[in-house]
Amino acid sequence: MAIANTLVPARNTRALLIKWIIGLLVPLVVFTFIWSGEEIINQSLLSIFGQGNTVDVAILIETALFLVIFYATLIVLAGYLVAADSGRRGMIELWVDIAVFVVLPLFLVMSQGLIIGFAVSAIIWVIYLVVRGRVYKALHIKSPTQNLKVLNAEQLAELKNHAVQGSFWFSVALAIIWLIVDLIFYLTGQLPTTLLIWAVIRTLLLPIAGYLLGQLAGTIALRRTLSAEGNGNGGNAADGSGKRMRRRQLENLSTTRAREEARDLVPNDLPQRSSGATRFYLILLVTFVLFYPVIDQFLFGFGTEGRLASYGDAGYYVILALGLNIVVGFAGLLDLGYVAFFAIGAYAWGIFGSTQLTNVLNLAPIDPHLLSALFWPMIIVAALIAALFGVLLGAPTLRLRGDYLAIVTLGFGEIVPIVFLEMDKYTNGTNGIVGVHSPSFFGINWSVITPTPYYYLILALIALSIFVNIRLRDSRLGRAWIAIREDEIAAASSGVNLVSTKLFAFATGAFFAGIAGAFHAAKLGQVSPDNFSFGDSVIFLAMVVIGGIGSIPGVIVGAILVYALNVFLPAQLDASAADPTSVFYGINNAIVHFIPGFSFGNVRNLIFGALLVVIMIFRPEGLIPSARRRREFHEVEEEGVEVGALDVVPGAPGFEEEVRVE
Amino acid sequence: MTLFLQEIVVGLTTGTIYALIALGYTMVYGIIELINFAHGDIFMIGTFICISIFGLFGITNSSVPPTGFALVGVLVVTLLGAMLLCAALGVVIERVAYRPLRNAPRLAPLISAIGVSLILEDIGKLWKGFTLVPFPQIFPQNTIYIGSVSINSVYILVIVVALLLMVALQWMVTSTRIGRAMRAVAQDREAAALMGVNVNRIIAITFFIGGGLAGAAALIWGLAIGNTNFTLGFTLGLFAFTAAVLGGIGNLVGAMLGGVLIGLVEAMATFIPDSTNPASHGIGLPHGGPAWHEAIIFLVLILILVFRPSGLLGQQTPEKV
Repeated sequence: MAIANTLVPARNTRALLIKWIIGLLVPLVVFTFIWSGEEIINQSLLSIFGQGNTVDVAILIETALFLVIFYATLIVLAGYLVAADSGRRGMIELWVDIAVFVVLPLFLVMSQGLIIGFAVSAIIWVIYLVVRGRVYKALHIKSPTQNLKVLNAEQLAELKNHAVQGSFWFSVALAIIWLIVDLIFYLTGQLPTTLLIWAVIRTLLLPIAGYLLGQLAGTIALRRTLSAEGNGNGGNAADGSGKRMRRRQLENLSTTRAREEARDLVPNDLPQRSSGATRFYLILLVTFVLFYPVIDQFLFGFGTEGRLASYGDAGYYVILALGLNIVVGFAGLLDLGYVAFFAIGAYAWGIFGSTQLTNVLNLAPIDPHLLSALFWPMIIVAALIAALFGVLLGAPTLRLRGDYLAIVTLGFGEIVPIVFLEMDKYTNGTNGIVGVHSPSFFGINWSVITPTPYYYLILALIALSIFVNIRLRDSRLGRAWIAIREDEIAAASSGVNLVSTKLFAFATGAFFAGIAGAFHAAKLGQVSPDNFSFGDSVIFLAMVVIGGIGSIPGVIVGAILVYALNVFLPAQLDASAADPTSVFYGINNAIVHFIPGFSFGNVRNLIFGALLVVIMIFRPEGLIPSARRRREFHEVEEEGVEVGALDVVPGAPGFEEEVRVE
Repeated sequence: MTLFLQEIVVGLTTGTIYALIALGYTMVYGIIELINFAHGDIFMIGTFICISIFGLFGITNSSVPPTGFALVGVLVVTLLGAMLLCAALGVVIERVAYRPLRNAPRLAPLISAIGVSLILEDIGKLWKGFTLVPFPQIFPQNTIYIGSVSINSVYILVIVVALLLMVALQWMVTSTRIGRAMRAVAQDREAAALMGVNVNRIIAITFFIGGGLAGAAALIWGLAIGNTNFTLGFTLGLFAFTAAVLGGIGNLVGAMLGGVLIGLVEAMATFIPDSTNPASHGIGLPHGGPAWHEAIIFLVLILILVFRPSGLLGQQTPEKV
């Protein structure tokens, strides 16, 4: 059978298959059997058939959807990785990497809880990366150069074969392991018969799914390759035509490069590594985040509501970081007073969405339901008001250079909260505005105690912000901002209108801050001036800088990291320290002996400050820098890239090794 | 009228203290183009150091203050001690947090400075707690009358000490070799290095002097105002830096002028009536001038920067391509 022929791996692909299948299977097995992945499935199935705990239908559908997407993506990933494997990393390397980066955190989070698990994993990752770098340097292992292979039809078919084989054998292995485990459970009486039937069905379905998904993986892998033009000689040609083929390879190489660069135009934000597998990881991550409220109950048991509430808080930090990224990262205007726009957005909804406005204007109070429904247009209005103030506050700074601009924005960042504090006829001063209404969706009122709708709302807002940011970055305006950041005079000479571009930068940054402010006011239910201070501006700036200035994935990661370290972690540690059974109780008491007045919340700034200094000294370009930044910062330290020195003439046999295509 | 003149005296006093701190900011900016956010916090740690040195002498808030030569001795020792320790702190901060970032783009040392500021603030919080810490007022507080204006003798001490230090600094910068080297490094670091100036040492000396001035300012602030807090560094640092920018950053005389100006503006703000008070018939600002003094200071800064972007005494260097 033709199908059977394609499914049996050739000798040289067996090693590939073993490498990737075992590499991906181990974390999946850990997730499924040890971390309650299977439990989720079994629970859902049992409730479908009326046995076991009855779960809400919506949750059931969501869980089912999550699981289907999760496993399907993993199978496609397996196929893709087998097909696209470039041979750069050996088996053991890969397995150790996967063990440290995926399996270990899974175990740690399971046994120690989310925070400690992540914290310990992070520490282990840093140590591992440093040690691995040293070991490689000591053993003089350099990662081999990546060859852009030019493939003919036979090689393309082989690639697709690899993908199908990868997915198929991955799903077969998974099915077999699962079946064996289920049989063991059944024989020890822990598995009801219904589930055994499911196990058999699954064992038959998985390989078929693997084959079909393998075709999909092959198609995706093919899109990232380039086929030769008019080269009918096959893979191995005689020496005579070798030179011709090389020359054609070179031409194709340069056109590939030109094509890639034409697609990217300016290497702005994309990291310089392969993005094929990264897309699958992103799909996995997005699935996880989208379905998180549903599976959180299975994974962690209790405490879901608290966690979701804090994720909602982390969310508006992300939007603020994205907005500040526009001002500081794209346009290069150092803004130390960003909290002012945040405050304006928060007060905009705070005044409108509570009884404050009607009290001040002496009107009759508006119906609360109408008010809540008006939240959606008011978010835009609040953002627009903030943008207007962005223009107003940015206008005096147009003629100022760098640090003067920073001080003026700092001044505005101080003035605005003082204004809100003192004009208490309008803003109720130090007491702040309480009773701010939360939004409602088709008549269902949200409230402060149900965090799940806020979680999804902030996810939607973040997705929207990311989309807008990426479009802005790649637009004419975005390029004008980057031009201004690099060299104002050159930009002005190239026809960029400095005034309007800078004002647009302030306005857009303030717009996002306004959105975040309105969301914050609605979620928290009250607005008071001491929520907004220079310390917050520092935190926002730190998010952008630690994450990577000008890089959109960087600032998102930076925002989550800074939020976790500065807000989330000290609160959790303090809660832990009050609990006599946890290890932090003892640590806390020991330190209080020496330093009275110590608590984890008190030293939060100390640790944050130390972290800022350390990160600036050792990794000033941030965690996920944009490609441009990394070249800027590490120009001196780059090894092996000789600009302008070619020992080998183009066209000669050793040329491709000289010109390293990265 | 007397009230007005009295407020001017108060303004001058606080203004000279701001000037001393502003000098630290402006010198560091002139040399390495860095806004040293940690400088105000060095001042705050200096006030705590002074309290501790007083404690070593057995002087606390409730004890009897010394008189005569003992007083002078205590003051001199505390002044020198605070200046030296703050100067050492400044040098250590520069070595640890700023020197590795000497060649990094401008945002990195700025963030590092903010980080150091946060660390110092928390150290202050852990050392002396959250609330206002009273400062032993050992200088005799006699009121001296010039005409009808009453001046507290402590203010005279403040102005005298500050003026002496500023004159000494100006003399050092203009007339000594080290001062010349500092000006050279501020003008062009690489050319100065080519001329045989040890740039690292000069930068360390700059931080040393800045820290020393902050230490002196800490002592006279404590004697005049009488209390301190761990957030004092940030607040005063902001005003002092505003003063430095106002006068033209990098310019020593400008920093002194800016400091005095900011002090005067702050003092004049007390005359703005409270609009919520029915006696003022709605003129003025809600809750009166003093509640708004930060906002007013920043507003003055912004106005001056709009019309003179390099500050009052700053040079309008045209940007060259």
